Amino acid sequence: MIERLQTIWDVGFQDAKRHIRSQRMIILSPLIVMTISMACWGFADSRIVPAGLPTNTPSQVLFYSSLPVVFFCTLSVVLIGFDSISRRRLTGELAIDLSQPMPRSDYALSQLLGVWLAAMSPTTIAILIGIFLIQQQMGEWPSAADTAMFLGATGLLLWWYTCLQLLASSMARDIGSSVTLGVGTWLFFVFLWLIPTLIVAQTMGIDITDPNSVGFDKIQEKVDLFSPNGVYQLLMETRLPADSQPHLSASSIWALTLVWTLFPTYLFCHRIGVLRP
Amino acid sequence: MRLGPGIRSIDLELKAGKILGLVGPNGAGKSTLLQVIAGLLPLEEGTITAEGADSIEARRANIGYMPERVTWSGPGTAKRAIERLCAMRKIPVSEGDELLELVGLGTRIEDDLSTFSQGMKQRLSLATALLGDPGILLLDEPLNGLDPVAQSAFRVLLNQLSQRGVCVVISSHTLSDLERLADEFVLMHQGRIVAQGPLTEIERDLGLKATLEIAGLGPSPEKFGTDIEVEEIDKQEGEEWAYRLHLQQGEWTTERRSQLGPEMTFTRLQHVPAGLETVISAATGLEVEDAGFAILSEVNSDD
Repeated sequence: MIERLQTIWDVGFQDAKRHIRSQRMIILSPLIVMTISMACWGFADSRIVPAGLPTNTPSQVLFYSSLPVVFFCTLSVVLIGFDSISRRRLTGELAIDLSQPMPRSDYALSQLLGVWLAAMSPTTIAILIGIFLIQQQMGEWPSAADTAMFLGATGLLLWWYTCLQLLASSMARDIGSSVTLGVGTWLFFVFLWLIPTLIVAQTMGIDITDPNSVGFDKIQEKVDLFSPNGVYQLLMETRLPADSQPHLSASSIWALTLVWTLFPTYLFCHRIGVLRP
Repeated sequence: MRLGPGIRSIDLELKAGKILGLVGPNGAGKSTLLQVIAGLLPLEEGTITAEGADSIEARRANIGYMPERVTWSGPGTAKRAIERLCAMRKIPVSEGDELLELVGLGTRIEDDLSTFSQGMKQRLSLATALLGDPGILLLDEPLNGLDPVAQSAFRVLLNQLSQRGVCVVISSHTLSDLERLADEFVLMHQGRIVAQGPLTEIERDLGLKATLEIAGLGPSPEKFGTDIEVEEIDKQEGEEWAYRLHLQQGEWTTERRSQLGPEMTFTRLQHVPAGLETVISAATGLEVEDAGFAILSEVNSDD
């Protein structure tokens, strides 16, 4: 078992290095570092925070700083991973990969690990810089638990997007379709998710014109469990003060976190298991 | 998913130290058969057994597979590409470097793959197939894109490997590519094996005329025997005469060849394999033209 894990790590790490050295990462990395660290810096300065946003504690600053993670880091996963499988399939390299004695499930995990590590590297650096900037602005460090939640939840979000993206890449017959599937999924969860939420809320007779409605909040949280961004936001909300905590129980949020982690991973491993190169 | 016609009724035994030529026209099932042996495609019916291998991973560990025309694309170098596969096979990186040297890429290991010619990419693919010292080597159209010098070196390397006990299976859509290389042939058509064995035996079993090309200097031979059909062909530079001899029955044995003229000076004396369309036609009962169209489409698709 240890030997298999070592091989998955070795192959994944080599792929991650290749992704990190790629031209697209040279463009993406500074953008990720700048947006996350600048968000931490900005939200930690009460003078420039938009009115109405409570940013009195480092945990609240971290919560608002998770916004660029949802926009930029998830997009970076799409842009790193869209051709991970489809390009190798088109060039014939996938046939060579799959003819090696490595079990296909292990190969699938190594591919996930490669893209995830590449996306996680600049994100982790950005979060660490952000935490330092929060301390500089507010005079106190975020707690270890807040920091672990921010890093852990972000890692999980990027893993979910990596699974979805590589699944799309393995299904696409050409690179164009792969980009379309990946970007389409990203657009749906980032920009269009409100539409199914509104439809569900209205169907259940809730007034969707009142943004402060508790009923709408509850429905939104439930619908959010079916979106990776929603689960990520709920996980981050569990670190907020009591009046900002989600209505859903922590156990249901963690259960869906587990489902979001295992189910797409299983789907991708299964997909690679039956893939004809 | 729309599945292709696939392969049917294949009964094949691979022997250590032998080079097997897998020949057939477009859609014959050559690549599919190689992919099934390599463990890339599943079997719907039947079994594949390999000595000492109790799992598909164990079977793959003893197989080196080179797909047709891998277009290694950058960014990345040959060294990095082979290091990654070394990690998958759990073998030292130094073995990969040695193989890159062996296939003549020793001076280009740090160059970006996008600068490689198709011939160099073929050599890189061959190096990846040789990783882990496999007992079975499956090569899908490996001569495509190689220049004559590289083709010659490639043949020498394959002969060396077979002498070391490696079983080499090599596919091609032209018999002449493999004639001097393969010990035995498997002729495929529409997913089935239509003929199997040494080329001369296949030709004999199918009732095809054994053909010999001879050319030489000095006086031209005057008598060939009544069972030989003689056809005059173009002379090459330095040759004074050239003929193609079709034997009505039997094979061009060494003894028979020596009867052509023991005192003559030959510049050329070589067996000419029947064209693939002729062999396919004889094996399947198709008209030669119909068999020829199938092969023509294969050649055009390669262009």
